[in-house]
Amino acid sequence: MLRIEGLTVGYGAEPILEGVDLAVLPGQFVSLVGPSGSGKTSILRAVTHLLEPQHGTIALNIPPADVGFLFQDDALLPWRDVRANVSLGLRIRGVAAADAADRADSWIASLGLEGLGDRYPRQLSGGQRKRVALAQVLALEPRLLLMDEPFASLDAIVRVRITEELLGWVERKHLTVLLVTHDLDEAVTLSDAVYVLSHGPRAGILARHAVDIPRPRHVLESRAHQRFAPLVQRLWDDLGGDRPRTPQEDQ
Amino acid sequence: MTTPLRRGLRRAAAALILLTAWEGASRAGWVDPFYAPAPSRVAAVLASIVADGSIWVHLQATLTAALAGLLGGLLLGILLGFAAALVPWLAELLEPVMILLNAIPRVILAPLFVIWLGIGLASKVALALILVAVLIFFAVYSGIREVDRRLVERVRTLGGGRRALIEEVYVPSITAWVLGNLKIAVGFAFTGAVVGEFVASSRGLGYLLQFAQSTYNAALTIALIAVIMVCALVLFSAAEWVERRLLRWRYV
Repeated sequence: MLRIEGLTVGYGAEPILEGVDLAVLPGQFVSLVGPSGSGKTSILRAVTHLLEPQHGTIALNIPPADVGFLFQDDALLPWRDVRANVSLGLRIRGVAAADAADRADSWIASLGLEGLGDRYPRQLSGGQRKRVALAQVLALEPRLLLMDEPFASLDAIVRVRITEELLGWVERKHLTVLLVTHDLDEAVTLSDAVYVLSHGPRAGILARHAVDIPRPRHVLESRAHQRFAPLVQRLWDDLGGDRPRTPQEDQ
Repeated sequence: MTTPLRRGLRRAAAALILLTAWEGASRAGWVDPFYAPAPSRVAAVLASIVADGSIWVHLQATLTAALAGLLGGLLLGILLGFAAALVPWLAELLEPVMILLNAIPRVILAPLFVIWLGIGLASKVALALILVAVLIFFAVYSGIREVDRRLVERVRTLGGGRRALIEEVYVPSITAWVLGNLKIAVGFAFTGAVVGEFVASSRGLGYLLQFAQSTYNAALTIALIAVIMVCALVLFSAAEWVERRLLRWRYV
Protein backbone atom coordinates (compact mmCIF):
# COMPACT_ATOMS: atom_id res chain seq x y z
CA MET A 1 0.00 0.00 0.00
CA LEU A 2 2.88 2.34 0.85
CA ARG A 3 6.41 1.93 -0.44
CA ILE A 4 9.15 4.40 0.43
CA GLU A 5 12.46 4.13 -1.39
CA GLY A 6 15.64 6.12 -0.79
CA LEU A 7 13.80 8.82 1.13
CA THR A 8 15.93 11.76 2.22
CA VAL A 9 14.31 14.65 4.07
CA GLY A 10 15.60 17.62 6.00
CA TYR A 11 14.87 21.20 6.95
CA GLY A 12 18.31 22.59 6.16
CA ALA A 13 21.41 21.58 4.25
CA GLU A 14 22.02 18.42 6.31
CA PRO A 15 19.31 15.77 5.98
CA ILE A 16 17.56 14.50 9.10
CA LEU A 17 17.24 11.09 7.53
CA GLU A 18 18.78 9.66 4.42
CA GLY A 19 18.07 6.77 2.08
CA VAL A 20 15.17 5.29 4.01
CA ASP A 21 13.42 2.24 2.49
CA LEU A 22 10.18 1.14 4.04
CA ALA A 23 7.10 -0.83 2.98
CA VAL A 24 3.64 -1.12 4.48
CA LEU A 25 1.48 -3.88 3.01
CA PRO A 26 -2.34 -3.76 2.98
CA GLY A 27 -3.76 -4.68 6.37
CA GLN A 28 -0.37 -4.43 8.08
CA PHE A 29 0.35 -2.51 11.26
CA VAL A 30 3.87 -1.13 10.99
CA SER A 31 5.69 0.89 13.66
CA LEU A 32 8.69 3.16 13.42
CA VAL A 33 10.80 3.49 16.54
CA GLY A 34 13.95 5.45 17.06
CA PRO A 35 15.64 8.11 19.13
CA SER A 36 14.45 11.72 19.21
CA GLY A 37 15.62 13.62 16.16
CA SER A 38 15.85 10.53 13.98
CA GLY A 39 13.19 11.89 11.65
CA LYS A 40 10.33 9.51 12.44
CA THR A 41 7.74 12.27 12.22
CA SER A 42 9.35 13.64 9.06
CA ILE A 43 8.58 10.36 7.27
CA LEU A 44 4.86 10.75 8.05
CA ARG A 45 4.95 14.43 7.07
CA ALA A 46 6.58 13.52 3.76
CA VAL A 47 3.89 10.91 3.07
CA THR A 48 1.16 13.53 3.64
CA HIS A 49 2.98 16.21 1.61
CA LEU A 50 3.47 18.45 4.64
CA LEU A 51 7.20 18.14 3.92
CA GLU A 52 8.87 17.92 0.53
CA PRO A 53 11.43 15.09 0.26
CA GLN A 54 14.93 16.06 -0.90
CA HIS A 55 15.40 12.70 -2.60
CA GLY A 56 13.62 9.39 -2.99
CA THR A 57 10.14 8.23 -3.88
CA ILE A 58 6.96 7.67 -1.93
CA ALA A 59 4.61 5.34 -3.79
CA LEU A 60 1.08 5.17 -2.48
CA ASN A 61 -1.33 2.93 -4.35
CA ILE A 62 -4.43 4.57 -2.86
CA PRO A 63 -5.76 8.12 -3.38
CA PRO A 64 -4.31 10.68 -0.91
CA ALA A 65 -7.86 11.19 0.40
CA ASP A 66 -7.76 7.64 1.78
CA VAL A 67 -4.87 8.49 4.08
CA GLY A 68 -5.70 9.59 7.63
CA PHE A 69 -3.17 11.34 9.86
CA LEU A 70 -3.48 11.33 13.65
CA PHE A 71 -1.13 13.97 15.04
CA GLN A 72 0.81 13.93 18.27
CA ASP A 73 -1.12 17.04 19.37
CA ASP A 74 -4.91 16.89 19.39
CA ALA A 75 -5.03 19.90 17.04
CA LEU A 76 -8.78 20.20 17.50
CA LEU A 77 -10.45 23.44 16.44
CA PRO A 78 -11.09 25.19 19.78
CA TRP A 79 -14.05 27.16 18.37
CA ARG A 80 -15.93 24.08 17.14
CA ASP A 81 -17.75 21.65 19.39
CA VAL A 82 -16.99 17.94 19.43
CA ARG A 83 -19.60 17.14 16.77
CA ALA A 84 -18.26 19.81 14.40
CA ASN A 85 -14.67 18.70 15.02
CA VAL A 86 -15.50 15.06 14.29
CA SER A 87 -17.44 16.00 11.16
CA LEU A 88 -14.79 18.47 9.96
CA GLY A 89 -13.20 16.16 7.39
CA LEU A 90 -16.59 15.02 6.15
CA ARG A 91 -17.79 18.60 5.64
CA ILE A 92 -14.51 19.50 3.91
CA ARG A 93 -15.13 16.61 1.51
CA GLY A 94 -18.57 17.90 0.64
CA VAL A 95 -20.82 15.72 2.82
CA ALA A 96 -24.05 17.66 3.59
CA ALA A 97 -24.00 19.25 7.04
CA ALA A 98 -26.91 17.18 8.45
CA ASP A 99 -25.48 13.90 7.15
CA ALA A 100 -22.01 14.80 8.42
CA ALA A 101 -23.47 15.58 11.87
CA ASP A 102 -25.33 12.22 11.94
CA ARG A 103 -22.19 10.33 10.98
CA ALA A 104 -20.19 12.29 13.54
CA ASP A 105 -22.72 11.36 16.25
CA SER A 106 -22.34 7.71 15.35
CA TRP A 107 -18.51 7.95 15.67
CA ILE A 108 -18.86 9.92 18.90
CA ALA A 109 -20.91 7.04 20.32
CA SER A 110 -18.53 4.41 18.92
CA LEU A 111 -15.60 6.00 20.73
CA GLY A 112 -17.39 6.31 24.05
CA LEU A 113 -18.03 10.04 23.86
CA GLU A 114 -21.83 9.89 24.20
CA GLY A 115 -23.34 13.13 25.47
CA LEU A 116 -20.22 15.16 24.69
CA GLY A 117 -21.18 16.22 21.14
CA ASP A 118 -22.03 19.77 22.22
CA ARG A 119 -18.91 20.28 24.35
CA TYR A 120 -15.94 22.32 23.25
CA PRO A 121 -12.39 20.86 23.29
CA ARG A 122 -11.37 22.89 26.35
CA GLN A 123 -14.17 21.18 28.31
CA LEU A 124 -12.70 17.72 27.65
CA SER A 125 -10.03 15.68 29.39
CA GLY A 126 -6.84 14.71 27.55
CA GLY A 127 -8.18 11.22 26.88
CA GLN A 128 -11.48 12.55 25.56
CA ARG A 129 -9.68 14.96 23.23
CA LYS A 130 -7.60 12.08 21.88
CA ARG A 131 -10.78 10.12 21.22
CA VAL A 132 -12.26 13.10 19.37
CA ALA A 133 -9.12 13.40 17.25
CA LEU A 134 -9.28 9.66 16.55
CA ALA A 135 -12.99 9.87 15.67
CA GLN A 136 -12.24 12.80 13.33
CA VAL A 137 -9.76 10.68 11.40
CA LEU A 138 -11.72 7.40 11.51
CA ALA A 139 -14.90 9.18 10.34
CA LEU A 140 -13.23 9.54 6.95
CA GLU A 141 -12.78 5.76 6.88
CA PRO A 142 -9.13 5.92 5.79
CA ARG A 143 -7.49 2.87 4.28
CA LEU A 144 -4.08 3.93 5.56
CA LEU A 145 -3.80 5.49 9.00
CA LEU A 146 -0.64 7.41 9.92
CA MET A 147 -0.18 8.05 13.63
CA ASP A 148 2.48 10.24 15.22
CA GLU A 149 2.86 9.26 18.88
CA PRO A 150 -0.84 9.89 19.31
CA PHE A 151 -1.09 8.77 22.94
CA ALA A 152 2.24 10.03 24.23
CA SER A 153 0.73 12.70 26.47
CA LEU A 154 -1.81 10.42 28.19
CA ASP A 155 -1.46 8.82 31.58
CA ALA A 156 -0.79 5.07 31.69
CA ILE A 157 -4.34 3.85 32.39
CA VAL A 158 -6.03 6.02 29.76
CA ARG A 159 -3.28 5.11 27.33
CA VAL A 160 -3.87 1.37 27.74
CA ARG A 161 -7.64 1.86 27.34
CA ILE A 162 -7.35 3.90 24.15
CA THR A 163 -4.67 1.61 22.73
CA GLU A 164 -6.99 -1.34 23.38
CA GLU A 165 -9.83 0.45 21.56
CA LEU A 166 -7.55 1.31 18.66
CA LEU A 167 -6.35 -2.27 18.44
CA GLY A 168 -9.98 -3.40 18.24
CA TRP A 169 -10.75 -0.93 15.46
CA VAL A 170 -7.69 -1.80 13.46
CA GLU A 171 -8.31 -5.54 13.64
CA ARG A 172 -12.05 -5.32 12.94
CA LYS A 173 -11.68 -2.92 10.01
CA HIS A 174 -8.40 -4.44 8.72
CA LEU A 175 -6.87 -0.96 8.73
CA THR A 176 -3.37 -0.43 7.44
CA VAL A 177 -1.38 1.61 9.93
CA LEU A 178 2.02 3.29 10.10
CA LEU A 179 2.71 4.33 13.69
CA VAL A 180 5.56 6.49 14.97
CA THR A 181 6.34 5.91 18.62
CA HIS A 182 9.05 6.18 21.26
CA ASP A 183 7.43 3.40 23.22
CA LEU A 184 8.93 0.00 22.35
CA ASP A 185 6.25 -1.88 24.33
CA GLU A 186 3.54 -0.09 22.38
CA ALA A 187 5.28 -0.81 19.07
CA VAL A 188 5.51 -4.56 19.77
CA THR A 189 1.98 -4.76 21.23
CA LEU A 190 0.36 -3.23 18.17
CA SER A 191 2.53 -4.07 15.19
CA ASP A 192 3.13 -6.74 12.61
CA ALA A 193 6.52 -5.21 11.85
CA VAL A 194 8.75 -2.68 13.62
CA TYR A 195 11.37 -0.56 11.85
CA VAL A 196 14.20 0.82 13.97
CA LEU A 197 15.74 4.14 12.98
CA SER A 198 19.29 5.15 13.88
CA HIS A 199 20.33 8.45 15.47
CA GLY A 200 19.95 11.58 13.33
CA PRO A 201 21.10 13.56 11.49
CA ARG A 202 21.38 11.34 8.43
CA ALA A 203 19.38 8.67 10.24
CA GLY A 204 18.57 5.46 8.43
CA ILE A 205 16.81 2.15 9.00
CA LEU A 206 18.86 0.03 11.42
CA ALA A 207 16.65 -3.03 11.44
CA ARG A 208 13.22 -4.44 10.64
CA HIS A 209 11.63 -6.94 13.00
CA ALA A 210 8.52 -9.01 12.32
CA VAL A 211 6.21 -9.35 15.33
CA ASP A 212 4.73 -12.84 15.31
CA ILE A 213 2.38 -12.50 18.27
CA PRO A 214 -0.97 -13.91 17.08
CA ARG A 215 -4.06 -11.75 16.50
CA PRO A 216 -6.56 -10.75 17.71
CA ARG A 217 -4.48 -9.10 20.39
CA HIS A 218 -5.20 -7.37 23.65
CA VAL A 219 -2.75 -4.94 25.19
CA LEU A 220 -2.05 -6.65 28.51
CA GLU A 221 -2.25 -10.21 27.13
CA SER A 222 0.17 -9.35 24.33
CA ARG A 223 2.65 -7.96 26.85
CA ALA A 224 2.48 -11.24 28.76
CA HIS A 225 3.11 -13.27 25.59
CA GLN A 226 6.36 -15.27 25.58
CA ARG A 227 7.61 -13.58 22.40
CA PHE A 228 6.97 -10.06 23.69
CA ALA A 229 9.94 -9.55 26.02
CA PRO A 230 12.60 -10.98 23.64
CA LEU A 231 11.32 -8.70 20.86
CA VAL A 232 11.42 -5.62 23.07
CA GLN A 233 14.93 -6.64 24.14
CA ARG A 234 16.04 -6.86 20.51
CA LEU A 235 14.68 -3.38 19.84
CA TRP A 236 16.58 -2.09 22.88
CA ASP A 237 19.70 -3.79 21.64
CA ASP A 238 19.29 -2.22 18.22
CA LEU A 239 18.89 1.23 19.68
CA GLY A 240 21.67 0.72 22.24
CA GLY A 241 23.97 -0.71 19.58
CA ASP A 242 23.66 2.55 17.75
CA ARG A 243 24.91 4.56 20.74
CA PRO A 244 27.81 6.98 20.12
CA ARG A 245 31.18 5.25 20.50
CA THR A 246 33.08 6.02 23.69
CA PRO A 247 36.68 7.36 23.52
CA GLN A 248 37.89 3.96 24.82
CA GLU A 249 36.09 2.18 21.98
CA ASP A 250 37.57 4.58 19.47
CA GLN A 251 41.06 3.78 20.74
CA MET B 1 -14.03 34.83 50.99
CA THR B 2 -14.48 37.33 48.15
CA THR B 3 -17.69 36.81 46.24
CA PRO B 4 -18.68 39.14 43.37
CA LEU B 5 -21.57 40.45 45.51
CA ARG B 6 -19.32 41.25 48.47
CA ARG B 7 -16.76 42.86 46.20
CA GLY B 8 -19.50 44.99 44.60
CA LEU B 9 -20.85 46.01 48.00
CA ARG B 10 -17.38 46.96 49.20
CA ARG B 11 -16.76 49.08 46.10
CA ALA B 12 -20.19 50.79 46.39
CA ALA B 13 -19.52 51.52 50.07
CA ALA B 14 -16.10 53.01 49.24
CA ALA B 15 -17.63 55.21 46.52
CA LEU B 16 -20.40 56.33 48.91
CA ILE B 17 -17.88 57.21 51.63
CA LEU B 18 -15.79 59.20 49.13
CA LEU B 19 -18.82 61.13 47.82
CA THR B 20 -20.09 61.79 51.34
CA ALA B 21 -16.66 63.07 52.41
CA TRP B 22 -16.45 65.24 49.31
CA GLU B 23 -19.97 66.60 49.92
CA GLY B 24 -19.17 67.28 53.58
CA ALA B 25 -15.86 68.97 52.78
CA SER B 26 -17.53 71.16 50.19
CA ARG B 27 -20.38 72.19 52.50
CA ALA B 28 -17.98 72.87 55.35
CA GLY B 29 -16.02 75.17 53.08
CA TRP B 30 -12.84 73.03 53.25
CA VAL B 31 -12.66 72.87 49.46
CA ASP B 32 -13.43 75.70 47.08
CA PRO B 33 -16.69 74.82 45.21
CA PHE B 34 -15.35 76.78 42.23
CA TYR B 35 -12.73 74.05 41.71
CA ALA B 36 -14.47 71.09 43.28
CA PRO B 37 -18.25 71.62 43.46
CA ALA B 38 -20.15 69.29 45.78
CA PRO B 39 -21.53 66.06 44.27
CA SER B 40 -25.05 67.36 44.92
CA ARG B 41 -24.27 70.42 42.78
CA VAL B 42 -22.88 68.23 39.99
CA ALA B 43 -25.97 66.02 40.22
CA ALA B 44 -28.22 69.08 40.01
CA VAL B 45 -26.43 70.31 36.85
CA LEU B 46 -26.67 66.84 35.35
CA ALA B 47 -30.37 66.61 36.19
CA SER B 48 -31.00 70.03 34.63
CA ILE B 49 -29.32 69.25 31.29
CA VAL B 50 -31.17 65.94 31.16
CA ALA B 51 -34.50 67.50 32.16
CA ASP B 52 -34.33 70.38 29.66
CA GLY B 53 -33.20 67.94 26.96
CA SER B 54 -30.09 69.94 26.01
CA ILE B 55 -27.82 66.91 26.58
CA TRP B 56 -29.52 64.63 24.05
CA VAL B 57 -28.43 66.39 20.86
CA HIS B 58 -24.82 66.30 22.08
CA LEU B 59 -25.04 62.72 23.29
CA GLN B 60 -26.54 61.67 19.97
CA ALA B 61 -23.75 63.42 18.03
CA THR B 62 -20.99 61.76 20.08
CA LEU B 63 -22.55 58.30 20.00
CA THR B 64 -23.17 58.56 16.25
CA ALA B 65 -19.54 59.54 15.61
CA ALA B 66 -18.20 56.85 17.96
CA LEU B 67 -20.35 54.04 16.58
CA ALA B 68 -19.79 55.04 12.93
CA GLY B 69 -16.05 55.27 13.59
CA LEU B 70 -16.09 51.93 15.40
CA LEU B 71 -17.90 50.12 12.57
CA GLY B 72 -15.86 51.81 9.85
CA GLY B 73 -12.63 51.15 11.74
CA LEU B 74 -13.51 47.49 12.26
CA LEU B 75 -14.32 47.03 8.57
CA LEU B 76 -11.26 48.90 7.34
CA GLY B 77 -8.94 47.21 9.84
CA ILE B 78 -10.22 43.72 8.97
CA LEU B 79 -10.02 44.42 5.23
CA LEU B 80 -6.49 45.85 5.32
CA GLY B 81 -5.25 43.25 7.81
CA PHE B 82 -6.59 40.40 5.67
CA ALA B 83 -5.21 41.92 2.48
CA ALA B 84 -1.77 42.56 4.00
CA ALA B 85 -1.54 39.03 5.39
CA LEU B 86 -2.49 37.44 2.07
CA VAL B 87 -0.72 39.80 -0.37
CA PRO B 88 2.98 40.21 0.53
CA TRP B 89 3.62 43.34 -1.56
CA LEU B 90 0.64 45.05 0.07
CA ALA B 91 2.06 44.17 3.48
CA GLU B 92 5.35 45.79 2.45
CA LEU B 93 3.47 49.03 1.74
CA LEU B 94 1.01 48.96 4.62
CA GLU B 95 3.14 47.70 7.49
CA PRO B 96 5.43 50.77 7.85
CA VAL B 97 2.47 53.16 7.55
CA MET B 98 0.54 51.27 10.21
CA ILE B 99 3.58 51.01 12.49
CA LEU B 100 4.04 54.79 12.17
CA LEU B 101 0.36 55.46 12.84
CA ASN B 102 0.48 53.10 15.81
CA ALA B 103 3.57 54.78 17.24
CA ILE B 104 2.19 58.33 17.25
CA PRO B 105 -0.69 59.56 19.42
CA ARG B 106 -3.23 59.38 16.61
CA VAL B 107 -5.42 62.13 18.10
CA ILE B 108 -2.87 64.63 16.71
CA LEU B 109 -4.56 63.95 13.35
CA ALA B 110 -7.73 65.69 14.61
CA PRO B 111 -6.79 69.20 13.36
CA LEU B 112 -5.92 67.76 9.95
CA PHE B 113 -9.30 66.01 9.71
CA VAL B 114 -11.04 69.27 10.66
CA ILE B 115 -9.18 71.06 7.85
CA TRP B 116 -10.00 68.33 5.35
CA LEU B 117 -13.53 67.39 6.41
CA GLY B 118 -14.86 70.44 8.28
CA ILE B 119 -16.17 70.72 11.82
CA GLY B 120 -19.15 68.41 11.20
CA LEU B 121 -19.64 64.74 11.95
CA ALA B 122 -17.24 63.49 9.25
CA SER B 123 -14.03 64.69 10.96
CA LYS B 124 -15.05 62.99 14.25
CA VAL B 125 -15.93 59.75 12.50
CA ALA B 126 -12.61 59.88 10.65
CA LEU B 127 -10.63 60.28 13.88
CA ALA B 128 -12.52 57.47 15.65
CA LEU B 129 -12.14 55.33 12.52
CA ILE B 130 -8.37 55.77 12.24
CA LEU B 131 -7.89 55.02 15.95
CA VAL B 132 -9.87 51.77 15.64
CA ALA B 133 -8.61 50.73 12.19
CA VAL B 134 -4.93 50.70 13.19
CA LEU B 135 -5.69 48.61 16.28
CA ILE B 136 -7.79 46.10 14.33
CA PHE B 137 -5.32 45.98 11.42
CA PHE B 138 -2.61 44.65 13.73
CA ALA B 139 -5.05 42.24 15.41
CA VAL B 140 -6.03 40.73 12.05
CA TYR B 141 -2.58 40.89 10.45
CA SER B 142 -0.90 39.24 13.44
CA GLY B 143 -3.84 36.88 13.86
CA ILE B 144 -3.38 35.46 10.37
CA ARG B 145 0.41 35.37 10.47
CA GLU B 146 0.51 33.76 13.89
CA VAL B 147 -2.36 31.36 13.32
CA ASP B 148 -1.80 27.96 14.95
CA ARG B 149 0.15 26.00 12.32
CA ARG B 150 -1.05 22.70 13.82
CA LEU B 151 -4.64 23.63 12.95
CA VAL B 152 -3.63 24.55 9.42
CA GLU B 153 -1.88 21.18 8.99
CA ARG B 154 -4.82 19.38 10.59
CA VAL B 155 -7.25 20.87 8.05
CA ARG B 156 -4.84 20.20 5.19
CA THR B 157 -4.44 16.53 6.10
CA LEU B 158 -8.23 16.21 6.28
CA GLY B 159 -8.30 17.31 2.65
CA GLY B 160 -8.99 21.00 3.15
CA GLY B 161 -7.81 23.59 0.65
CA ARG B 162 -7.64 27.38 0.77
CA ARG B 163 -11.40 27.80 1.21
CA ALA B 164 -11.63 25.31 4.09
CA LEU B 165 -8.62 26.93 5.76
CA ILE B 166 -10.23 30.38 5.53
CA GLU B 167 -13.62 29.13 6.80
CA GLU B 168 -12.44 26.75 9.50
CA VAL B 169 -9.20 28.30 10.72
CA TYR B 170 -8.48 31.85 9.58
CA VAL B 171 -11.91 33.48 9.99
CA PRO B 172 -12.60 31.99 13.47
CA SER B 173 -9.04 32.75 14.54
CA ILE B 174 -9.31 36.37 13.36
CA THR B 175 -12.77 36.71 14.91
CA ALA B 176 -11.22 35.73 18.22
CA TRP B 177 -8.43 38.29 17.82
CA VAL B 178 -10.81 41.07 16.72
CA LEU B 179 -13.34 40.41 19.47
CA GLY B 180 -10.53 40.20 21.99
CA ASN B 181 -9.71 43.78 20.97
CA LEU B 182 -13.31 44.97 20.71
CA LYS B 183 -13.44 46.49 24.20
CA ILE B 184 -10.26 48.46 23.51
CA ALA B 185 -11.69 49.48 20.12
CA VAL B 186 -14.85 50.81 21.79
CA GLY B 187 -12.71 52.95 24.08
CA PHE B 188 -10.67 54.19 21.12
CA ALA B 189 -13.81 55.05 19.14
CA PHE B 190 -15.22 57.05 22.02
CA THR B 191 -11.90 58.81 22.54
CA GLY B 192 -11.76 59.70 18.82
CA ALA B 193 -15.27 61.12 18.82
CA VAL B 194 -14.86 63.20 22.00
CA VAL B 195 -11.37 64.49 21.16
CA GLY B 196 -12.55 65.37 17.65
CA GLU B 197 -15.41 67.37 19.12
CA PHE B 198 -13.07 68.95 21.63
CA VAL B 199 -10.82 70.26 18.86
CA ALA B 200 -13.53 71.84 16.71
CA SER B 201 -17.26 71.21 16.48
CA SER B 202 -20.68 72.67 16.98
CA ARG B 203 -22.19 69.79 18.96
CA GLY B 204 -21.30 66.69 20.92
CA LEU B 205 -20.14 65.90 24.44
CA GLY B 206 -16.60 67.01 23.55
CA TYR B 207 -17.94 70.34 22.33
CA LEU B 208 -19.98 70.74 25.51
CA LEU B 209 -16.93 69.84 27.57
CA GLN B 210 -14.87 72.43 25.75
CA PHE B 211 -17.63 75.00 26.43
CA ALA B 212 -17.73 74.06 30.14
CA GLN B 213 -13.96 74.36 30.41
CA SER B 214 -13.86 77.76 28.65
CA THR B 215 -16.51 79.11 31.06
CA TYR B 216 -14.75 77.59 34.10
CA ASN B 217 -17.90 75.62 34.88
CA ALA B 218 -16.44 72.81 36.99
CA ALA B 219 -19.86 71.35 37.90
CA LEU B 220 -20.83 70.96 34.23
CA THR B 221 -17.36 69.59 33.41
CA ILE B 222 -17.61 66.89 36.08
CA ALA B 223 -21.20 66.11 35.07
CA LEU B 224 -20.13 65.66 31.44
CA ILE B 225 -17.17 63.49 32.44
CA ALA B 226 -19.64 61.32 34.37
CA VAL B 227 -21.90 61.08 31.30
CA ILE B 228 -18.94 60.09 29.10
CA MET B 229 -17.87 57.48 31.63
CA VAL B 230 -21.38 55.99 31.75
CA CYS B 231 -21.57 55.92 27.93
CA ALA B 232 -18.17 54.24 27.67
CA LEU B 233 -19.19 51.75 30.36
CA VAL B 234 -22.42 50.89 28.51
CA LEU B 235 -20.58 50.43 25.19
CA PHE B 236 -17.85 48.45 26.97
CA SER B 237 -20.46 46.13 28.50
CA ALA B 238 -22.15 45.72 25.11
CA ALA B 239 -18.78 44.80 23.57
CA GLU B 240 -18.17 42.29 26.35
CA TRP B 241 -21.63 40.78 25.79
CA VAL B 242 -20.93 40.42 22.05
CA GLU B 243 -17.52 38.89 22.76
CA ARG B 244 -18.90 36.36 25.23
CA ARG B 245 -21.73 35.46 22.88
CA LEU B 246 -19.58 35.01 19.79
CA LEU B 247 -16.62 33.42 21.59
CA ARG B 248 -18.72 31.09 23.71
CA TRP B 249 -16.08 28.36 23.30
CA ARG B 250 -13.63 30.51 25.24
CA TYR B 251 -15.91 31.09 28.22
CA VAL B 252 -17.53 27.66 28.70
